[in-house]
Parts: sequence; C-alpha cells; structure tokens
Amino acid sequence: MTTIPKKLRSPRVVLLAMSLATLTTAARGADIYLVAGTTTKLMPDGASIPMWGFALDPDFGGDGVVTIPGPTIEVLPGDATLSIHLKNNLAEPVSIVIPGLRAAMSPVYFTDGQGRPRVRSFTHEAAPGGSATYTWTNLQPGTRLYQSGTHSSVQVQMGLYGCITQDASPGEAYPGVAYDQQVVLVFSEIDPALHDAVDSGNYVSFGDPQVNMTSTIDFRPKYFLVNGEPYSAGTPSITAGNVGDDVLVRLVNAGLRSYAPVMLGAHVELAAEDGYSYTHRTRQYSILLPAAKTLDVLFTPSAAGMYPLFDRRLNLTNAGAAPGGVLRVLSVAP
Amino acid sequence: MNWRTARRTACGVGVLLAVIAPTAAEIPGLTGDTFTLAARSGYINAGDGLSLYVWSYADGSGPMQYPGPTLIVDEGATVTVTLNNELPVPASIVFPGQTGVTTSGGVPGLLTAEASPGASVTYSFTASEPGTYHYHSGTDPDLQIEMGLLGALIVRPAGFNPASPRAYGHSDSAYDHEYLFLLTEMDYFVHLWVEFGLPELVDTTAYHAVYWFINGRNAPDTMLEPTIPWFPHQPYNCLPRMHPGDRLLMRVIGGGRNLHPFHTHGNNFTIIARDGRLLESAAGAGADLAVSDFTIQSVPGQTVDAIFEWTGAGLGWDIYGHAPGDPLEPGEYAPDHGKPFPVILPEQLEITRGANWSGSPFLGTFGSVPPGEGGFNMNAGYFYMWHSHLEVEMVNNDIFPGGMMTMLIIEPPGVPIP
Repeated sequence: MTTIPKKLRSPRVVLLAMSLATLTTAARGADIYLVAGTTTKLMPDGASIPMWGFALDPDFGGDGVVTIPGPTIEVLPGDATLSIHLKNNLAEPVSIVIPGLRAAMSPVYFTDGQGRPRVRSFTHEAAPGGSATYTWTNLQPGTRLYQSGTHSSVQVQMGLYGCITQDASPGEAYPGVAYDQQVVLVFSEIDPALHDAVDSGNYVSFGDPQVNMTSTIDFRPKYFLVNGEPYSAGTPSITAGNVGDDVLVRLVNAGLRSYAPVMLGAHVELAAEDGYSYTHRTRQYSILLPAAKTLDVLFTPSAAGMYPLFDRRLNLTNAGAAPGGVLRVLSVAP
Repeated sequence: MNWRTARRTACGVGVLLAVIAPTAAEIPGLTGDTFTLAARSGYINAGDGLSLYVWSYADGSGPMQYPGPTLIVDEGATVTVTLNNELPVPASIVFPGQTGVTTSGGVPGLLTAEASPGASVTYSFTASEPGTYHYHSGTDPDLQIEMGLLGALIVRPAGFNPASPRAYGHSDSAYDHEYLFLLTEMDYFVHLWVEFGLPELVDTTAYHAVYWFINGRNAPDTMLEPTIPWFPHQPYNCLPRMHPGDRLLMRVIGGGRNLHPFHTHGNNFTIIARDGRLLESAAGAGADLAVSDFTIQSVPGQTVDAIFEWTGAGLGWDIYGHAPGDPLEPGEYAPDHGKPFPVILPEQLEITRGANWSGSPFLGTFGSVPPGEGGFNMNAGYFYMWHSHLEVEMVNNDIFPGGMMTMLIIEPPGVPIP
C-alpha cells in the first residue's frame, strides 16, 4: 500500500479557496494527494501553537501548505470510488479514516510493556517518510469528517482532520436537499499543553508521569476554533448568500468537546446527520453538535443582514480573553 | 376514621374548594408587550446558605431577580424591551429564536446593540410564532450569562384561552398546568472574582460549576413557595403539581453552558416542541413527530416543550383502594379499578419514612404516622423526584441532596392547583 500511483494530477483536482471563503483549501476528485506535516498557528493573543495537519499536494512535489483543518475534499457527484494518497512527513506513523464510510480496515498493533497487543492505528499506516493509499468504494453522498486513524487521541488534537463532502447531484446535497450556497464550519479546540509536549518530545505514552505527559486525560483546551481560527476582533464575516437563498451550513465537529451552536435572528432546518438526510426536518435555532458529529442545516434568510452563530456552551474565549472562540457572523446580502 | 372515610372527606373538601379556587397552574411572569428591565447586581441564596453575587435583570425599579422576569407575550405582538444598565460594564439583551429584532439607542456591540453603564437601549421585535424561548445578555456572554443575565420568554398562541390553554395553536399542545424549568449552573469562583472587582481573573476555560439551579433556586429551595421574603431575589420556585389524568406542560430551557439530562420519575413525557416549533411533519399536522422519553437532553440555549401525564397506569393496583363496585375517580386508570394493593404494608416500627409519606399508599388517604414524622404532604399526594440525571448536579457545593432537583406532586382529584 505504500506504492503511489503515478497518476500525478487528476483533472478534477482544483482549488476553490476563493469561492468558498470559509475554507482554507478545497480539493475535488476521486484521487486526492495529501501530505501530513507540521505547521505553527498563531493565536490572537500571540501564542504560537505547534500543530500537525494535512496539505493538498497533487503531485507530492513538496509545495503543499499544511492547513488546519486540512483541505475540504469535495468528491464529485456520482463518483463511486475515492482514493486518498497520503505522504507522511511526520516523525511517527499516520493514517486516514473517514467515520461513516465503509472501508476494509487493517488495524496495526504494537506490543506494550506487559506483552499485550494494543491497537495503534485503526487501519494501515503511512510510515514516517513513506506513503500509503486509502480507498473507499460504494461512496454515498454526505458531509463527513476525515481524520488521523493513528494514535487518534493525540494526532486528531494536533490538527490532523478535515471535512469531506459528496453531493447527490450538483447543487443537491442529498436527494431533496437542494442548496444555492454552502458554508462549511469545522469546530475544534487546542490544549496548548499537549501541543507543546508533543513538539518538544515530552509526550511519551509509556514514560514517567513525573516528567512526561503520558496521556491526554488532562485535556484542558484554551482555544476554540472554527475552521482552524478562534474568533478575534478582526475576524471577517462569512458570506452566506442572498435573501431567499437556501444556504447549506455543514457543521463538522473535529474536536473532543460537544458544541451547541446557536444562530441569532433565524431558525434553521436540520437536514442531515452523519451523512444521512432526515425524513422530516425540524426547525431549530440551536443545535447540539457532539464530537465527531456532522450536521447539515439549511438556512434560508428572509432578510439581509448579519446573523451571528456562536457556541452556546460559551466557549467564547481565547485562553481567558473575550471575545474569542467559537463565534462567526454569517452575512446575507439583499 | 379509617383511611377510606378519610379519603372521601379529603376529596369532598377538595371538590368544594375546586369550585371557588383556580384549578390550573400558570407560569408567573410579566405580561403585556412593553417591558422595562434593569441590569443590576445583587445577591442570591444558594441551597447551602451561601450568598452568591450575581448580575441579572429587574422589572423596572423592582428588585434584581435571578433569573430575570419571565416575559409573557401574545403571538403577533410587537414587543418592546428597554434595558436600563446599572452595571459597571456594558450589557445588552438578545432574543434567540426571534426574527427581525431592531434596536434603538445604545452602542454597537458583539451580538447586538449594548447599553453602556448608566445608559439605555431598546429592543423591538414581533413575536411571530408561539412557544418557549429565552433571552440573555449578548455582551461578553461568556461571563454575563454565567453572572445571571438571562430569563424566560413565553409567546402565547393567537386566540389563547386561559380556560383551555394551549402552548401552540394545535390541540396536541393543550395542557392543564404549565411549569417552567429554566436550568442553569454557577461556578462560585467566577462570582467571587467579579464581586471582588477582579474580573480579569476569570478564565472560563477552567469553568467548574458547583451550584445547579431550576428557575434560579437550588433544591430544596425549589420546593418552597414563590415570592417569599427570605428569597428577595429569587421569586420563582419549581414545584410541579397535577391530578391524575391532567396534562402538565413542561417548558424546559437550557439556560447555562452545560448540558443537563433532566429526568422525570413517575412516567414518560412526550416532547412536542423544540426551540418554539411544534415537532410536526407539515404545517398544521400537529405534534406528529413527538417522541416519548424520560430524560430531556437539555442543550444550552435550547428550549423543549413536553407534555407529562400520569394516571397510575401500569401499577396493577387501584391507587385509591377502591372496592370493585366503587365509582371511578376523575382521571383514574380504569383497568386497575378495584384491584387490590399487592403487598402487606409493614408495621410502623418496621419502616423508615420520609417527610412526604402520608401514612398510606393510597392517593388522597392519610394514615397514622408517629409524632414528628411526615407532615410535608398536605393532601396525601404522591411525590416523584424530577432532577438532573447527571447526579453530580444534585448537590449544593458538594452537599447532597440539593442542586437541580425538585418534586412532582400527584394531588388527589379536587385538590386546587395552584
């Protein structure tokens, strides 16, 4: 699985960064080339956070930029097969899993100090410096999360996650769920202590608890992110169509906490959960978004203006300084 | 007097009282369409006797109260709320679930227009759809909601008739009694730092609640009377009462930042609405998507309306101790009529009893209890605990029992409620 097909550039891999203002990068196509690597994120208070993430690098040429979250992958409607080719520039093994999509999983085990086999990866790995290909068949439309399947308690926190979508047909997320514009909102959080420990080599799973960080049990996030960024005074609003549009808001929780996004000024319709559309849509202004959950909601604004969307669990702080955290404003044009 | 004659006497008195007393519980609050609220500081009583420094809303020049006044308006009304800010920091109000909120006065803020200290701002909106909502500060909500700046908002449906009330237009939302369950929590240290003038020490990423409230009170104070002198800033109680066969509307609001699994003993309820919208498959279909459950997953910011009913169905014995030929009581579960009580009651010296034990297993019947026992059960009703099933939330700063807990009382037929 470490041999990379020499199909260097799929004609369907395009960048959509500008058309989807909320996204760092977007990729389309049935063959996706990702690189796992390191980056550093600057928080509004000046804190510098070492992170891991995925970069889109269609020819593995080394010019991909690691982003948090990773590039949003759009699989074209009708595609039955997806292959993600993963090159690993990290110093430990990584892998990719997509909760909600069927795949033949090949877990990787290691032997702990007591001689017991323990799962390290949910499926086959890309070794440090190596690469691997992950393939899914019988694809179905939906909004899903992709993430590291290796040492997930650490690697997902470090930033190895992103959103992957496939529409039923152009402009139709699921049969009967048409939209005019989409907004992808990926929720996550950062516990700086973990990132510092991993970056400095002080995270040691079977190390000395007096010296090393040995687990993530003391998870205490200080920064709360939407699409990789906490809110700050300069955070721009998100373009969300015009009055009367059906705006599909894809809510993806890549973090470890439950969020409760609330929209002010409108109810939305809950259209789908975990990639399955609801038979009946309820109308709510508040949404419970547990960890790893995806929810697709339809926002049909009846008036132009600004519609704040914020976490009602009140993660509205950047390490104790407000305003911050999980707050965005959706901007609707006349 | 044996238990049966005692029951008949009690019921007879109840029926007499029913003629002259209201028989429906209604959520107290401010009615109308124009309100003036003041954001103000003060102290509330926690269930363990501690005083907590809070910020909340007052009705005009009245006392600060936690939670803020329940605003009760009519569907279609143009609602105007003026906020006078007497706090040392800017404050505001947002109305989740309302559309087209306009503001006048104030200064631009994070989520809405704000009133500077000593200044005012006015909000206006049309209450376009009936239901259960809430309001809270849109200024520094991370801190200010925790400090207490929130309250309930109820929109009565068009054509609301207090004699046969409905939460929404459809008959699926008809009820006999309504009760509010505004669920919140507090981290003692946040309030301490703000009281000491050191809000910069508040770091809500280290948030750790130790008090849990229903309608602004911790148990057991939830079960005290409303509007009592020794709770000058917590006018609302939460003591749901109903007769067998009644429909009790629960208006549940997640007011804090944490999820609370609110659990009813006694029976399941039916969730009929969420966020002020009937759970219906199509407009006018009624609550055809309603679900039966025994724990409401209360989400911060979310409201849930549920109908709770109780008849004793499924017990397998007659809750009145009837003989088979006796007439049915109102709301009685007929299939169990006349069925004998299935166990032999233990002797008095063999049991430990609580303050809510009437001395008899039969509804509306008092039995003898030793001196100093019982006495909290005025009508020989049945008591069911309703509480957060996150059991850590049933304490007051580590002292059990307390917190997010109260009792439902099934009252005998004819007992006036409230």
